[in-house]
Amino acid sequence: MYETSPLLHFAEDTLQIAALAFMAIVYALKIRWILKFPAGKERQKPTAPPGRDGRKGALYSLAAIALPWAMASYRERPLRYVQFAVFHLAVAASILMSFLIPYAPETIASPAAVVALQAIFAAGILMGLMRLWRRLADPHVRAISTPDDYFSLALLIVWLGASIAAAPNAREVSETPLLAYFFLTAFFLVYVPFSKISHYIYYPFSRYYLGKTLGRRGAYPLANPAAMLKPES
Amino acid sequence: MARERSWRAQKVIERLEQKVNRQVLLSLAACVHCGMCTEQCHYVLANPDDPTYAPAYKADKLRKLFKAHIDWTGRAFPWWVGARSVYTDEELEDLKDTVFGKCTNCRRCSFNCPMGVDMATFNRLARGLLVHVGIMPEGVATVAKDQWEIGNQMGVLKEDYLETVEWMEEELQDEFDDPNIKIPIDKKGAELVYTINPREAKYDPRTIAEAAAIFHFAGENWTMVSEGWDMTNFGLFNGDDELGGACARRVYDAARTIGAKRIVISECGHGYRSTRCEGPNWSKTDLPDIEMESSIITMLRYIKEGRIQVDKSKNSIPVTYHDSCNMARSCGMTEEPRELLRLVCSDFREMYPNRQQNFCCTGGGGAMSMAEYAPRRLKSAKIKAEQLRATGAKIVITSCHNCVDGLTDLIKHYQLDMEVKQLVDMVYNALVVPKPAPKVEVPVAVAPGEIPAKALAGYKVLVIDDEPDVRTYLRVIFKDKGAEVLEAPDANQGWRQIRDQKPDLVTLDLVMPHKTGEKLYWELRKDEKYKNLPIVIITGYGKTDKPTVRFHEFIAEKGIPEPNAFLEKPIDPDKVIETAIQVLGTRIPSDQIQ
Repeated sequence: MYETSPLLHFAEDTLQIAALAFMAIVYALKIRWILKFPAGKERQKPTAPPGRDGRKGALYSLAAIALPWAMASYRERPLRYVQFAVFHLAVAASILMSFLIPYAPETIASPAAVVALQAIFAAGILMGLMRLWRRLADPHVRAISTPDDYFSLALLIVWLGASIAAAPNAREVSETPLLAYFFLTAFFLVYVPFSKISHYIYYPFSRYYLGKTLGRRGAYPLANPAAMLKPES
Repeated sequence: MARERSWRAQKVIERLEQKVNRQVLLSLAACVHCGMCTEQCHYVLANPDDPTYAPAYKADKLRKLFKAHIDWTGRAFPWWVGARSVYTDEELEDLKDTVFGKCTNCRRCSFNCPMGVDMATFNRLARGLLVHVGIMPEGVATVAKDQWEIGNQMGVLKEDYLETVEWMEEELQDEFDDPNIKIPIDKKGAELVYTINPREAKYDPRTIAEAAAIFHFAGENWTMVSEGWDMTNFGLFNGDDELGGACARRVYDAARTIGAKRIVISECGHGYRSTRCEGPNWSKTDLPDIEMESSIITMLRYIKEGRIQVDKSKNSIPVTYHDSCNMARSCGMTEEPRELLRLVCSDFREMYPNRQQNFCCTGGGGAMSMAEYAPRRLKSAKIKAEQLRATGAKIVITSCHNCVDGLTDLIKHYQLDMEVKQLVDMVYNALVVPKPAPKVEVPVAVAPGEIPAKALAGYKVLVIDDEPDVRTYLRVIFKDKGAEVLEAPDANQGWRQIRDQKPDLVTLDLVMPHKTGEKLYWELRKDEKYKNLPIVIITGYGKTDKPTVRFHEFIAEKGIPEPNAFLEKPIDPDKVIETAIQVLGTRIPSDQIQ
């Protein structure tokens, strides 16, 4: 039976736990920082018609990312939603894999599971490259892009590439792909709280507050967003 | 060596640190620079090759400052995340050009931002920072000064205002040959205080007279006030919360002095938002005893309660409706104006996109007071002009005075064959006067108690309702008046009965299991054979829902006409019969719908 080298053991276990702990601490500090700022209060009486209120507005707002037809931006450019969804799915799959390989390798040991994961990662890379190309080629997006925007995207594309190589978990053949994957994962975990990738920490807050306000005033949830954009055929 | 910073730049930074609250912080921090907001802005659509118009680019002007001074990653690694401070007055002038001259705070980008970034809110904050150090377009400074000093944003003197109101009162008395028509001023004990936009007093006093006529014929106990009559609020546009609070407080104080229970806000998008929604926050005022509503709601209520009568055939020219940004996106008022329009206009055409997805008139956010940006504004109105032209309407209705001016300007610029009106114009024009105020649901000449015994003899009435008790009750009522009554416990059976039995009149419940009444109504109205079949909706209130509101939203979305009548449970038998007589009296004969 193959015995994992101390370096790989360190990379997939101790290093990951340390990186995760670091990320958790920075996130906790970040949330504490957000909560230090007072939330604006709404004194006015609710103005929403029956069936709409702040709670429903907040829930709708939080679910908005799963309602691409409700936003003209995605409705008019569905491919961008596909890019968004596939890319994020691939990142989530890779995060999951970073736990499964060291602690439950049997769950993704079958050839079918490996191929499925690799396909997701490959699709994620393709979408990531399309996003990167848009960031470079579209003057509107280029004008707002920072070094962090480029680096974060490039980092994730490279990381998804390492994920493809690591997915078979063939340590007996070579540990290099796994070492690359886990060291990259650790770097990713440490870097994320300082980068734009940490947007998912802001997402629930920003959507909650926007939805609460708009719901209280009756602007959310949108009754029939599709009908607002085009006449029904 | 630290770079020297101007006094103004220093003040802007200090004030930013004081003004950022959690909502603003999150909107500033959450942007991922995905660019999905880009094509949602009317400025971008008119300037596709200029990235400086993109919402995220404009937002980044303040975001860079936030990152440089508040955001911890920005302070640690400024270059890496695009943080940048301001040092000179020229940089502040550049910021002014963006936040005043390239954004109308319409909020359309926020509705289409995956992250929920509320750009209009922090664009307003940025305006406030600049106003605090005296950097703003000249027009903005003038209007704000007038509102601080004279009490209204157009500098209308009290004497002129009162004279205008008196003049309108005389006009009304002449027009209706009725000396009893009054426009009361400071009438103690009035139920309702009517507040207006000073543009009405200065340029468009007919809207004051029209509203007064509507109040008069509705029998309202109302008044206008000599102080605190301006419900507009430039604080919304220049980002000055202190001005916002002062303007709102004036209106609230006026209503309290009168002892009014309600403040009615004439058709003005930003005035409505400022007075009803933002004003209590800015002025730190709680108003537990005073309701506030748009005059749209007031007029709609009068019609529904039968306090005024309208004839939609008086407004037969095709009309469309432009949703004001403040009304639709910031206050959620989208269905009520449409409901009102369908009651007073016979040819209403929806504009696309509409409601919360509508494009700005381009005159919002105080843009009409910034003459230096007029060419830019008119260029950005291209998409709005295209929207308007596509409707084929001859009149565009809007419930906002800024929109009236913005649309009028762009109609002229793009040479559209259209004019702009407000709902009050249309309601006034449709008024049926003078008449005792019968209920609109039952506008019949037959008085209760005078209905002939067999008034419905020869007619076939189909009752579709899932509640057996209701069906029995309606059957007895209709049979008593001589009608042949058919029943259906659900929408599908109702459909079959309509096809097989060819009723003259259908009463339809909305809330039914399986297929709803709304669905059946839609199917009938879509069907060439049954689109004119007389239908009376008879429905009740749910515990948490109001089917009538939902129904009106539904028919508005589908673009189908109103039912012939609308009754709410509990059922009043006289009202049911009166309504049936009224509806059948104007029905299309059965042989024409077969």
